[in-house]
Amino acid sequence: MSDALWVTHIFRWWGGAVGNANQELTYMRGRRRFLSTLISVGGFAALSPTLGYTLDLSIAPDLGAPPAESRARELARYPQKTELILLTDRPPQLETPLNYFRTDLTPNDAFFVRWHLSGIPTTVDLQTFRLEVGGRVSKPLSLSLSDLQSKFEAVSVVALAQCAGNSRSLFEPRVPGGQWGNGAMGNARWKGVRLKDVLDAAGVMSSALQVGLRGLDVPPLPKTPRFEKSLAIDHARDGEVMIAYEINGAPLPMLNGFPIRLVVPGWYATYWVKSLSSVTVLDQPLKTFWMDKAYRIADNADANEEPQHLAPVTVPIGQMSVHSIFVSPDPDESLHAGQRYQLAGVATDGVAGIRRVELSKDGGQTWSDATLGSDLGKYSWRLWQAQWTPPEKGTYRLMVRATNNAGETQRTSQWNRSGYQRDVIEHLDVVVL
Amino acid sequence: MRKWKAAFVCASGALGLIVAVAVHSQQPTSQKSRRSANTGSSQENSITLPQYPAEITPGPNMEVFSKDCLVCHSARYVSMQPRFPKSVWQSEVKKMIDAYGAVIPEGDQPLIVDYLVAVKGIETPAATPTK
Repeated sequence: MSDALWVTHIFRWWGGAVGNANQELTYMRGRRRFLSTLISVGGFAALSPTLGYTLDLSIAPDLGAPPAESRARELARYPQKTELILLTDRPPQLETPLNYFRTDLTPNDAFFVRWHLSGIPTTVDLQTFRLEVGGRVSKPLSLSLSDLQSKFEAVSVVALAQCAGNSRSLFEPRVPGGQWGNGAMGNARWKGVRLKDVLDAAGVMSSALQVGLRGLDVPPLPKTPRFEKSLAIDHARDGEVMIAYEINGAPLPMLNGFPIRLVVPGWYATYWVKSLSSVTVLDQPLKTFWMDKAYRIADNADANEEPQHLAPVTVPIGQMSVHSIFVSPDPDESLHAGQRYQLAGVATDGVAGIRRVELSKDGGQTWSDATLGSDLGKYSWRLWQAQWTPPEKGTYRLMVRATNNAGETQRTSQWNRSGYQRDVIEHLDVVVL
Repeated sequence: MRKWKAAFVCASGALGLIVAVAVHSQQPTSQKSRRSANTGSSQENSITLPQYPAEITPGPNMEVFSKDCLVCHSARYVSMQPRFPKSVWQSEVKKMIDAYGAVIPEGDQPLIVDYLVAVKGIETPAATPTK
């Protein structure tokens, strides 16, 4: 399969389209294979007594030639959320369909969900919930939500939350992990208190090196490492890192970290610990799988590596890099020559803010500026749009690239073993009839 | 018949039960879902997670995979993946044990790899010289 075809294929898949004509065909193929396998396996009844779950095969299992990617992605509705793309149900990983990326702020009920461990909080009683602030501090604190709201100055910021593995499914060769399309991100106005103010109230000792951050989620097994992250003490006290209790003017949905979560503007959301329950000031680096083994990138300028030549040294992922995506046209949309269309999408960045978005309709030979949407600050994403009238029938390769206020732009090729920090120039092959 | 539905509920595995109890014991008693909870004077926010039964692809050693892996995560962790060479699945199983503390008897490990290769495997690109 050529690169162009492959990319078209991927875009068709992650576009969030449901129920196109190919689905039925795929379903029938899958079912036929399923039937033949069922016979060869020797029947389920013999297996069933050992299983501790409900087996529901109403969806044809993926057994052969048609890759899972060719099927419509299943939608699911979780509490306090609208219908989102179901990556996994336990623990839940829910992706935002691209049609929600047409507004500056992502609706709370459409905001993506990503938990690591199956023991996630489903009930929080604010009368007993406390954020514990301890470790190398002179005065440990135990703060209720109302303590946070009444004893500290409220601040707000518009900031993009983006999973480190957003767009992972676009990497080629493919890599294991959550197979996100472009919807593992969302832009929101967060309100809360500065982590700095809380740390100052606790009195950080001079020996402090890091803060360790934990939430209410718990591991399923005794030896599973509890999810926790660390930030350098100077970062934690930069006045930007926030303990947020509101998203877009409302309490956090439970699945997005009720009642409080960390907001680390400009940094990948792996640090945005949900249902934050403890902040521990450390005088030693935090030793945890989640910093030492997971969420790490190649220690070179581009965070790039090759499958046959993995980078020997890795470092924890940090700031988001510059990226931009198409939201419109829909990959399955048929365009017609001579008609005018609005191309649209979002451009994302870490800590500088987006200053320019360019489009190409000829595979990168020529570029023109797109119109930028509102500037909601350096930590916000930025919408872009452009008018386009395809002059004649044929296949067009649309491309989009963004530049931030620091002059950084996107690269033309990228790969890493974990599918993190996607920032390559994306393209969309469209057929004009 | 358009839909093939074979749903059956089986006795819970002992380990799964222990985990379920452990998780439940950390939660307050109310499991009532209130969509607009935590607004107004309410002091409690509670949701009930919906059930989206996982699609478990039949394959050799499916029962071993089910017993050892589904304690911690649903089968969608596999079904959402593209196809990978055996070496990738070997390292994934190893990661589950070494990094995530999965309790998988040594004898089960190659069986699980075989299952994963059967349902989500792909030939390693041939290393034969081009003609």
